[in-house]
Parts: sequence; C-alpha cells; structure tokens
Amino acid sequence: MAGVGGGNDFQWCFSQVKGAIDEDVAEADIISTVEFNYSGDLLATGDKGGRVVIFQREQESKNRPHSRGEYNVYSTFQSHEPEFDYLKSLEIEEKINKIRWLPQQNAAHSLLSTNDKTIKLWKISERDKKAEGYNLKEEDGRLRDPFRITSLRVPVLQPMDLMVEASPRRIFANAHTYHINSISVNSDHETYLSADDLRINLWHLEITDRSFNIVDIKPANMEELTEVITAAECHPNQCNVFVYSSSKGTIRLCDMRAAALCDRHTKFFEEPEDPSSRSFFSEIISSISDVKFSHSGRYMMTRDYLSVKVWDLNMENRPVETYQVHEYLRSKLCSLYENDCIFDKFECCWNGTDSAIMTGSYNNFFRMFDRNTRRDITLEASRESSKPRGILKPRKVCTGGKRKKDEISVDSLDFNKKILHTAWHPKENVIAVAATNNLYIFQDKMN
Amino acid sequence: SLRYMLGRGVKRKLSDYDESMAAGLPGPFDSSPALPYPQQRQLVLNMCLRKLQSCCLKVEPSLHRSVLLSNTLRQIQGEMLNEDCNTSPLAVQSDRNAYSVDTSPYIGGNPPATPAHIPDLPPLPLYSQAEEANLMTMPSDNGMSSTVSSHVRVSGFMKDMSPPPAFPSWAENEELDFFSSSSSSSEDEGNDHPAGSRSLDSLFGSFEIPNSTSYLTDLAFDDIFEDIDTSMYDSSDFTSVLSFTAPRSSVSPSEDSLKPFSTCSSLSTNGIQICVTDLNDLDHIMEILVES
Repeated sequence: MAGVGGGNDFQWCFSQVKGAIDEDVAEADIISTVEFNYSGDLLATGDKGGRVVIFQREQESKNRPHSRGEYNVYSTFQSHEPEFDYLKSLEIEEKINKIRWLPQQNAAHSLLSTNDKTIKLWKISERDKKAEGYNLKEEDGRLRDPFRITSLRVPVLQPMDLMVEASPRRIFANAHTYHINSISVNSDHETYLSADDLRINLWHLEITDRSFNIVDIKPANMEELTEVITAAECHPNQCNVFVYSSSKGTIRLCDMRAAALCDRHTKFFEEPEDPSSRSFFSEIISSISDVKFSHSGRYMMTRDYLSVKVWDLNMENRPVETYQVHEYLRSKLCSLYENDCIFDKFECCWNGTDSAIMTGSYNNFFRMFDRNTRRDITLEASRESSKPRGILKPRKVCTGGKRKKDEISVDSLDFNKKILHTAWHPKENVIAVAATNNLYIFQDKMN
Repeated sequence: SLRYMLGRGVKRKLSDYDESMAAGLPGPFDSSPALPYPQQRQLVLNMCLRKLQSCCLKVEPSLHRSVLLSNTLRQIQGEMLNEDCNTSPLAVQSDRNAYSVDTSPYIGGNPPATPAHIPDLPPLPLYSQAEEANLMTMPSDNGMSSTVSSHVRVSGFMKDMSPPPAFPSWAENEELDFFSSSSSSSEDEGNDHPAGSRSLDSLFGSFEIPNSTSYLTDLAFDDIFEDIDTSMYDSSDFTSVLSFTAPRSSVSPSEDSLKPFSTCSSLSTNGIQICVTDLNDLDHIMEILVES
C-alpha cells in the first residue's frame, strides 16, 4: 500500500459524501463513530440519535474500471433509545459511542454498538428468498383450518427483493456505572472488553447476564479521584493482553494471565513531561483520547490534544515517534479551554500496512503522516472540494508572519467543524472521514 | 439545561453557544501575552470554577472533564497556597460571593494586588436546604477539597444527590438503600465522611449511571408492600401483574392499600394491560412509604 506523501507519487481524491447538505445540522445526525469491517466491504457509522447506518461497497463493475466500488446504504436501524431516569432526572444518551465489527463467521454480519450504558450485539442478515406454499397458513398469513386441508405440498423457495434485516441478538446491560468509552473485540473472537471512566469489564459474547471486572481504578474515597480511563483496546494477536489509557497521559498494558483483577499493570508507558512547555493546561492536553494497536501488534498509537505518538510495546519510557497535529494551537490553549474545545476527543487510525496514520483536526481538516518518509499532509473534508474524483489539494495553516495565498490563518479556523472520527480501509487506500453530520469517503487516485 | 425525553425524530439544532465558536478564537490571555502570570493564573482559576459549577448543567456531563477541571483547580490553588506560605500572610476572607470574584480580572487600569485572592469556602457540616442558601458561613482549614466541594455545591448541583425536599430523612435511612444513586449498594458513597469531602465524592458520584429503572422490578414486591394486606388476591394474579401498573383511570382514590394492585382481579379477567409507570405513580409510592 502506498504512503500518504504529498508528492507526485500519491494523491487523494474525493469519492463520495453522505449526509444532508443544509446548514442547520440536527444534533441527532451528528456522526459519533465510524468503522470499517474486517474486509472493508462494509462501513458502519453511528450517530447521536442512536442510529446505525451501514454502507456496503458495490462490486467493481467492468464498465468503470477506473473507479473503485462505491459505498451505498445497506442497512439502517435504531440501535439505542434514550433512557430517562425519573428518580434522578437524568437522561441516558442514546448516542452511539463506539461500533466494533465481529469477525464474520457465516453469511450474516455482526457488530457491537454501545452508548453510555448498554452494549448491544446486532446481527445483520440478508433475506432474498421466501418460502411459499405452506400447508397450515395462507399466503397472507391467515391460518388455514386444518380440517379443510385435503392434500399436502412441500413449500417452495421463491426469490424476492433483497431485504436486509438487523436484529439485536444480545444486550449487555447494567454492568457499567460510568459512561462507556470503549469496546474492543478480543482476538479469540469469543470475548470482548468494555471500558468506562473507572472500570473495564470482560464479556463473553454469548453471556449477557454477567461479566468479569478486570480493571477497577475507582478509589475508596471518590474525593481522591484524579485520573480516569479514557480508552482501552485488546491486543490484535495476544488474547491475554490489553491496554488502557488515562486522562494523565499514561498507558497501561495488562496481562490477564497475571491476575483476575488487572489493577497492577504489566507495562506502564509514560513520556516524561517537557518542563519548558509546562502550562496550566499541561495535564489537560496530555489526556489521551484514543489508543490503537498497530495491525502487527508491535506498536500502539495514542492521541492527545496536540499530537499523535507511536509507541513500541517494548519501550515504556518514551514513544518512538511523535507527530504534531496542530502545534499552532499551543499558544491558543486558554481560548480553547474557555470554549471547551480543549476537551475534544480526537481519534486516530492506522492504515492496513501500518505505514501511515491519520487523525482529525479543526476546520474540517484531517492529517495523515507517513511513518517511512516522514511526510505529512493536511486535507480538508468540505463540499467545496468535492468534485467527483477531484484531487484533494493539500491545506496549510499560517502560523505567523505573512499569510500566503491559499493558506488559512489560525484565527480563521472554524472550531465548530471538528473531525473527531476517521477510519481507514483495512486493505486499500480508502478512508472515511466524519465531518459533523456528513461522511466523506476518499480514495487514492487510480491511474 | 437538562434534556428531558426528547422524542425520536425531533430535530434539535446545535446550540448558539456552539455557533459562537465558529467565529474564531477571541483569546482571553492568548492575545495579550503581556498579562502577568498571577493574573493569567487567576483567570484560569475563575474559568475553572465556573466550569465546575456548570458541569452538571451541561447536556452531557462528563466525569473525565470534571476530573481534569478539578485537577487543574487543585494545581493552581496549590501553587497559590505555596506562594502565600512564602510571602506575607494573606488575610483570609470569608466572603459569600468569593466564588464570583475576579470574573473580569484585568480591565485596563490597575491590576489586582498580588498575591491573588484565594476563594475561601468552608465545608458545610450537614447538607440541608437552609445551608444551601448560605454558602460560606464558616472559616475552613480544609484547603482545596472543601473549596472545590463548596463551589460545586453552589451551583445547586447537589440537589441531584440529596433526597427530594419532601423526604429529608432518606439520606440516613439505610433501609431505603435501593433508592440511592449508586448501582453498587455495597459501596458507601461517603455517608460516613466529613461533609466537605462528601461533596467532591458526590460530584464524581453523580456521574454514575443509575440502574434505577430496573430497581422496582428487581425487588421482591413482598418486601416493599409487606404491610399491605393482599390476602384477598389470588397469588397467580399477583405475580402476573408484577411488572405492570394499572392505569390511573381504574384506580380508586383515597385508598390506603396499594393502589396499583387494587384492580388485580379485574386485570386477570380482562387480560393483562401493560402500562408504563409514570412519574405520578412513583411519587405516590414514595408518599406511601414515607408515611408508613
């Protein structure tokens, strides 16, 4: 797979955009998670309204050899509903925090989706045949009087229009006191973990009425609480290993073979703070918003407010690579603190070969870093640069001095347009970028 | 403001607050780097306090955000206290409006005298409605935690944790534990801690997602209503309506016994009617419990 560089060898093109165009964005339509499945043929999004929309890639047609298959809506369903607690007058949001696909084991597809409180396993199956000619019921469903039946026939399967059905197969509820921020399917394909602010639970996919608590950082006296869990993920190969990140910028790797309760980490990753860049907001910007293992399982990547760091699992005292996402914001931290942007949680993702990483920023910009060439590029997800198969022009933020043409100054950035969720196809150079209520799909230029 | 039961399909616009961010960064002290450090720190402290007070009012309360804010607050206050120890003693003021001081710390003119004012907010020994109105009446030596906790209390956020005004005895009534906000009733959410520390406890405790929607169905009805004579009802009818509540229209008023079950027998003959327990029924049940 090619890298990301802005040179002549590689360019990104607009492919599709999904979602409403109008300026007034309904809050329920804001996309809150994006995830490709293992083959990349399916792309799932979750939104604040609790809905899941799955897109399926159409087969590449011989008529258009220069275009990869397009993603079209495959299934839409309401995964979670808002819940209301009358006693405390609090609403439990239906927003989908995360979607994770399960490996496909038969013709149906399965995914886990979660809101703040409840995880659900959904099975998406196709139906393109129906049985006709029942003995005991009419075609419209009415029951036939058994005494009137004089002959028996064998029902015949007839083709019908493709129907995609989504049904909730498991509901994993009431195991989390705090807001769930992560779910991760284990490599054994039998278990998965779910993490909230203070605890991590291990579930079996078949068992919904109990789970194992494997991490608990809740202090006996809540007044002593100074750190929360921000993200967790299972190792892609070793089913006994997982990591979780914290609001203090640390990552703990745990081995489930060591103890039933993994409160004592096996490895502890933390980069010493640079005293010269210390400010009031140092701790806040060090809070890790996302952690992702590389596909190889040898590295992991963390996203904090200003940077993305790649860690070698064998080296705990510092990351092996650090990429600045929007360093020009460092001098604006107080303003970002005032308008709460400093608490935004950006995600990050690897490409299929682990040679490149991607993360979002403000003004609908997103950034990609090539780990081999060390080149980086800033692109924008906007309707203006959305001509079919139009090549995306690299963007640049002017940090000081004279602003060149086509550059944008820091003070002109739109902090309302943030790209928090991105996903990279597991095998190809196809990316999905969620910009508020729109989903952009970009792909590499095919010659 | 809190969102209440928004129906599906209702389009909600992004708030105007979000729109203001599109205008770019105004920069409180980013644009005036000449602001002296103590003033910068005071500015951040004030913002921190404001955010902590309002965090419970946000649509999406976040424990993560509150922990970061309180850590920042502790850090700044620790710095300020250390400075005060090294300089001349600061006159500690027991100021009712201390939390609102210095909202505009530096408007041209003369900068405030250093060291900056430390809001001194004491803990309150027992939560009560009267004391909620009198914010800071006693001096405190409990340092940062009480300051944070008292600020949090100011916002009225504590209301969620306290019993409703009509039932002040709930907090002490261990038998009604199932109505507490914590889903793990074995954990003591600061009931035996000093009141000052209890409120930070409560701040973080309020982010627990209650499983109270399942409390009523999880409990054995016999325990709740054991003082009510149900001998006239057939046991099979009783269990069949365990999860259901009779519609209000069929409830006869001024009945001392359990109203929802007064129509048990009629339900069994007319078929099961599934009704949603609404807020009024819960209020009524609570009244019965407290009066008994």
